[in-house]
Amino acid sequence: MKLSKEQIDQLFTFTRQHYVEWYDLQSELVDHLANSIETEWQENPKLSFDEVLSKEFKKFGVFGFMDVVEKRQAVLGKKYNGLVWYHFKDFFGVPKIVLTIAMTLILFSILKISQYSEWIVMWLYIFLILFTFYEIFKNNKIKKEKKQTKQKRWLFEEIINQYGGFAGAIIFPLHLFSRMFYHSEKYIGNDYWTLSLSFFFVLLVLVIFIIFKIIPSKAEEYLIATYPEYKLKTM
Amino acid sequence: MPRNDKKMKNSQLYKGSLNTIIMKLLEENGKMYGYEITQKVKAITQGELNITEGALYPALHKLEAEGLLDVEIEKVDNRMRKYYKLTEKGTTETVNRLSELEDFIRNMQSLVNPKLEF
Repeated sequence: MKLSKEQIDQLFTFTRQHYVEWYDLQSELVDHLANSIETEWQENPKLSFDEVLSKEFKKFGVFGFMDVVEKRQAVLGKKYNGLVWYHFKDFFGVPKIVLTIAMTLILFSILKISQYSEWIVMWLYIFLILFTFYEIFKNNKIKKEKKQTKQKRWLFEEIINQYGGFAGAIIFPLHLFSRMFYHSEKYIGNDYWTLSLSFFFVLLVLVIFIIFKIIPSKAEEYLIATYPEYKLKTM
Repeated sequence: MPRNDKKMKNSQLYKGSLNTIIMKLLEENGKMYGYEITQKVKAITQGELNITEGALYPALHKLEAEGLLDVEIEKVDNRMRKYYKLTEKGTTETVNRLSELEDFIRNMQSLVNPKLEF
């Protein structure tokens, strides 16, 4: 006996109740459960849908779908890091390396010439933090709206919109910068320091630009490559 | 007793070979979906080896991320089915892993049954 459309919907609800929030994983697990229920029915046709479902779900072990979800998150998180790295490397290959070097040298020159270099560094950094918060806030709002409208959610899409674990990294150099700000005469006067600082700043800008602008702008492309079913939205 | 035996068959020893088992099955059968793989293993080993669902899907997803497997989606009955198949890289890797596994089995046999050597 084949499962009806209603029973398939019930299985989707079942996966949601067991903390599988993403359509890509839901659909794979639903097909698995449906197959095992249909097979079980051939042997025990008298069992009810719910009885067979709970029997088959037990085969996933005490943690239910958690293992599958966690491992899938880990695999896709790694994939996301790979994407960031791929784009990052791009800025050190021809032709973009010219841009990277130019930005570093321009910042270096400004910091060297200006009397207010420590203020420039501070404001640049504050600008980057504000930009990060603005982007995170904007995306959280979109995510909330999506949750309310009950649209399909894709795990990799959420990883892209949560920037893997990179978003927190922007705050990381805060201590370093504040230290430099208070001991500016020691650092800013030294050309090597100024050059390193300029280069470090450019790297930070590149990472932020990649995770907030480049990857989200190509999200659709990456999702189609990850999920062949992404295009079959009609289902 | 037979119950215990069955449990033994699903022990740690098999875990390291799960990926190779999956790849070998895909090499023989072309494309397969998750449930089909569990059933096939059960049938081939006459029910002695049971791949658990909690181990199968993580393994499939990892192989996919490593670029060894590719996925295809088909609409079957009222639902979507995700098929896995070997990529070119996966096909080459299957040969390597199988020969590695065969070496392992041979070495294990010599270690467990040294008399066979003579």
